[in-house]
Amino acid sequence: MIKTQKTQRLKESIFKSIFAMTAVFTIIAVIAIIIFLLFNSIPAFQKIGFFNFIFGKEWNSSSTDTYDAPVSGMYGILTMIVGSLFATSGAILVGGTLGFFTAVYIVEFCPKRLKQILSNSINLLAGIPSVVYGFFGMRVLLPLLGNFSANGDGSGILSVSIILGIMIMPTVTALSKASIEAVDRTFYEGSIALGASRERSIFKVIVPASKNGILASIILGVGRAIGETMAVVMIAGNNPVFLTGLFSSFRTATANIVMEMSYGGELQTGALIATGVILTFFILVINICFNIVRRPNNRNRSRTKLSDIIFKFNINNDKTNKNVNAEINKHQFLIRSKHFDVVAVSLKYLSLLSAIIGILALLTTIIFIFVNGLPYITSDLLFGEFTYGGNPSIASSIISTLMLVVITSIFAFPIGIMAAIFLAEYSRKDSKLVKLIRLMSETLSGIPSIVYGLFGMLFFTQLMKLGTSILAGGLTLTLMIIPTTIRGTEEALLMVNESLREASYALGAGKLRTIRKVVLPGALPGILASVILGISRIISESAPVLFTMGASIKPMPKNFSSSGASLAVALYALGREWMHINESYATACILIILVLILNTLSQLIAKVLGKRLKGT
Amino acid sequence: MESNICIRTKNLNLFYDAFHALKDVNLEVPQKEITAFIGPSGCGKTTLLKCFNRMNDLIKDCRKTGIIEINGTNINSDIDVNALRRDVGMVFQKPNVFPMSVQDNITYGPMTHGIKKKSILDNIVFDSLQRAGLWNEVKDRLNKSALSLSGGQQQRLCIARALAVSPLILLMDEPTSALDPISTGKIEDLCEELKMEYTIVIVTHNMSQAVRISDNTAFFLLGEMLEFGKSDDVFANPKNKKCENYITGRFG
Ligand SMILES: Nc1ncnc2c1ncn2[C@@H]1O[C@H](COP(=O)(O)OP(=O)(O)OP(=O)(O)O)[C@@H](O)[C@H]1O
Ligand SMILES: [Mg+2]
Repeated sequence: MIKTQKTQRLKESIFKSIFAMTAVFTIIAVIAIIIFLLFNSIPAFQKIGFFNFIFGKEWNSSSTDTYDAPVSGMYGILTMIVGSLFATSGAILVGGTLGFFTAVYIVEFCPKRLKQILSNSINLLAGIPSVVYGFFGMRVLLPLLGNFSANGDGSGILSVSIILGIMIMPTVTALSKASIEAVDRTFYEGSIALGASRERSIFKVIVPASKNGILASIILGVGRAIGETMAVVMIAGNNPVFLTGLFSSFRTATANIVMEMSYGGELQTGALIATGVILTFFILVINICFNIVRRPNNRNRSRTKLSDIIFKFNINNDKTNKNVNAEINKHQFLIRSKHFDVVAVSLKYLSLLSAIIGILALLTTIIFIFVNGLPYITSDLLFGEFTYGGNPSIASSIISTLMLVVITSIFAFPIGIMAAIFLAEYSRKDSKLVKLIRLMSETLSGIPSIVYGLFGMLFFTQLMKLGTSILAGGLTLTLMIIPTTIRGTEEALLMVNESLREASYALGAGKLRTIRKVVLPGALPGILASVILGISRIISESAPVLFTMGASIKPMPKNFSSSGASLAVALYALGREWMHINESYATACILIILVLILNTLSQLIAKVLGKRLKGT
Repeated sequence: MESNICIRTKNLNLFYDAFHALKDVNLEVPQKEITAFIGPSGCGKTTLLKCFNRMNDLIKDCRKTGIIEINGTNINSDIDVNALRRDVGMVFQKPNVFPMSVQDNITYGPMTHGIKKKSILDNIVFDSLQRAGLWNEVKDRLNKSALSLSGGQQQRLCIARALAVSPLILLMDEPTSALDPISTGKIEDLCEELKMEYTIVIVTHNMSQAVRISDNTAFFLLGEMLEFGKSDDVFANPKNKKCENYITGRFG
C-alpha cells in the first residue's frame, strides 16, 4: 500500500494549477479594468480639474477638445450626478416599496395556491431586458404622461421612476421574500402565544427580524437603478440640466456616457471615462454597504436580540403578579394593541395593494407588448433580407446574437466554472486568496454595464484592434458574465453534501476523481442553471455591446469580426424610429419569449438539482 | 501475540488548532477481531478513527504527534494516502451512498484503483453485495438509483462499497445510529461474519451493541483512553471508576 503514485500526483497538481489560474484571471481582469479606466481618466481629471468636473454645473462637450490645446467646452457633471441620484431615489420609492410589500404579501397573506405561481412569475420577470422596459416606457408611458405635462412631453423623472421602479421590483421582491422566509417561525409562534394578532406579529416581529435582508434587497435595487442605462436614455429626455419638476428633461451619468461615447473627441472621451470612474466608485460603495448588511453574523445578532426580547417578555409576564397584569390588560394593553392593530391591518391591505399594482404593472407591460408585437412576428421579419430604410428584417440580428452567445460562452463559462471549482473545492473557506478572488469577482459584478461597454470599446475595439465586432462584444460580455457564473457554480458545488466527498476520499479516490465523478455530477443541474441564466443575460444586455458590437442593424454577419446589432440593441435601434414601430414590438416580443424560456429552463433544472440532492 | 496486532498507536496526540483532542493514546487493535470504541460524546472516538485512514488530513489546523502503525508500517510517513484509504475502509454514521445506481456505487472504488475489466467488476459487485448481505434484496435493481433503497439497505450498501476495494480493516463510525432495530440487527450479524476476514473497529453509543459484537473495548474520556481490554472483562468489572459509571449509565 505504501508506494507513491507519481503520475497521479502530477495530474492532480496540473489540474489544480489550471483551476487556480482561472481564478487568478478574475483578479487580473478586475485590476486591469480598474487601472485602465483610472489611467485613462487621469488626464481628463487634470485638464478639467477634479472639483470643476464633479461640481461643475454645465456640460457642453466639444469633440475637438484635446489634452494639449485650451478647452473650449464645459465639462461639469453635477447635473448628472444629481440626475442619477433622483432617478435612483425615484426608482427605489416606486420599486422598493412595491417590491417590499409584495414580498410580505406573497410570504404571509397570499393564498397557498397563488403563492408558487406568484413567486415563480416574479422570478421570471426579473430577467426581462431593460431595453424592453425602456421601449414600453417610451411608447406607452410617455404619451400617457404627456397628457399631464405642460409641454405635452411625458419624459422626465416621473416616467424614469415608474419604469425603473417596475424594472427593479422583481429583484427586490425575490430577495426580500427570501429573507422574510428565512426568519425563524418560532418568533411568530412566540408572538402569537403572547396574544398578538397575526398582522401585528408579522409587522412587529417577522419583518423587523428580516430587516437586514430587506435592506440588502433594496441596496441591490439601488445598484441596478443607478447603473441602468438604456431604459433611462429612452425616457429621460437627456438634457444635461438640473431637474425643475416631474416633467423636466434630465440626464443621468450612465446616459451621459452612452450618448456621447461613439463620437467623443480626446478630452470628451476622457471626461466620459471619468464619469464612468465616478459611477463605478458610487456602485462600489453601495456594494460594500450591501456586503456589510448581508454579513450573516450581523443577521444572527439581530436575531438573538429579538429572541432575547421575546424571552424577557415572557419572563416579565411570569414575574408580574396577577393584579398588575390585570391592570395592564385593562388600561394600556387593550387600547394600545387595538390601536396598533389598525396600523398593522392597514399595512396588510397595503401589501395586498402593492402586490396588485406591481403585478398589474408587470403584466400590463408584457401583455401590451405581446398584443402589439405577436401579429408582426412574420417570416419577413425573421428570415427576410435587411435593406436600409426598406425591409427591417432582424434575421441578421438573430444570427449575430447567436454568434455573440457562442463566443461569450466559449470564454466565460469555462473560466467561471473552473474558478468556482478552485474556490469551492481547493481552497480553505477563509484563506486570503479566496477572499481576494471573491472581492474581485464581486467588484466585477458591481461595475455598471455601460462602463463595461466603455472599457470594451476602448480596450477591445480600439487598443486590441478588434474593431466593432461580435468578437469584441463577446469579450466585453465575458468579463460581465464570469462573476455570476462563478457565484452560481460555487453555490451548486457547495450544495453537494460533504459526506459524499468524504465517502469518495475514504475509498481512496483522489481529489480530481472525487470532483469529476462525485461532485460535478451532483452539481451539474445547478451549474447548468447558472449557465442558462448567463445566456439569458448575454441576450438581454444592450449597453455593453452597443459600441463594441454595433449600434445598428447590419446585413448578415460573415464571421466573428463582422459587426451588427444584437437583438436587444436592434430593439433600441428600431424603437427610436417611428417608422418601424410594429417591428420593434415584434422584436421586444421575441426578446421576452427567449428570456422567459431560458429562465424557466434554468428554474426547472435547479429544481431537479434540489430533488436529486434530497434523494427522491 | 505480537504479530496479531493490526493497528498500533504510540503516544498519539492530536490537536485541532489549540484544542487537545487526543491525549497520549497507546492502543493495540488485534487482527480479525471487533474492537469497540465507547465513551461520551466529544471524547474523540471519531477523531481517533479518522487517524487510521488519515481522513483528518482534510481538516485545517489538525496536527498529530506520535506514531500510528498499521501492520507495522508508520502511516504518517510519506505513503500513498489513497492506497492507505483503499486498505482501510470506512463506513460513516449516516449512510452516504452516491447519487448513482447501486452498481456504480460499488464499482466506484475498484475503478478508482484502476480496475476496468467488466467481468472483474461484475464479480466484485456480486461478491461485495453478497458479503454485505444485500445481494438478494437488490439483485434486480442494480441499475436503480441507490437513493431509492431504505436507510438500512443504504448503510449495507455503504459497507459493500467499502468491501469492494478489498480492505484489510473496516472502520465504522456509529454505523447503526441512524437505523431501526431490524436493520441494526442485520448489520451486527454482518459484522460477526466479516470479522473472519477483516479487522473491524466500531464506534458505538450503544452499550449492549458493544457487549454483543465486540471482542475488545476501549473507553475514552476527554481525549484519553482510560480503559482497554477484552469486552467481557471491561463490561463485567471495569477497572476505571469513570468507565464503570459510564457503562452503568451514570453519566454520559
Ligand atoms: N474539525 C474539528 N475542528 C475542531 N474541533 C473538532 C473538530 N472535529 C472534532 N472536534 C472536537 O474534538 C473533540 C472530539 O470530537 P469527536 O468528533 O472525535 O468526538 P466523538 O467522540 O466522535 O463524539 P460523538 O460521539 O458525538 O461522535 C470534540 O470536542 C470536538 O468538538
Ligand atoms: Mg463521532
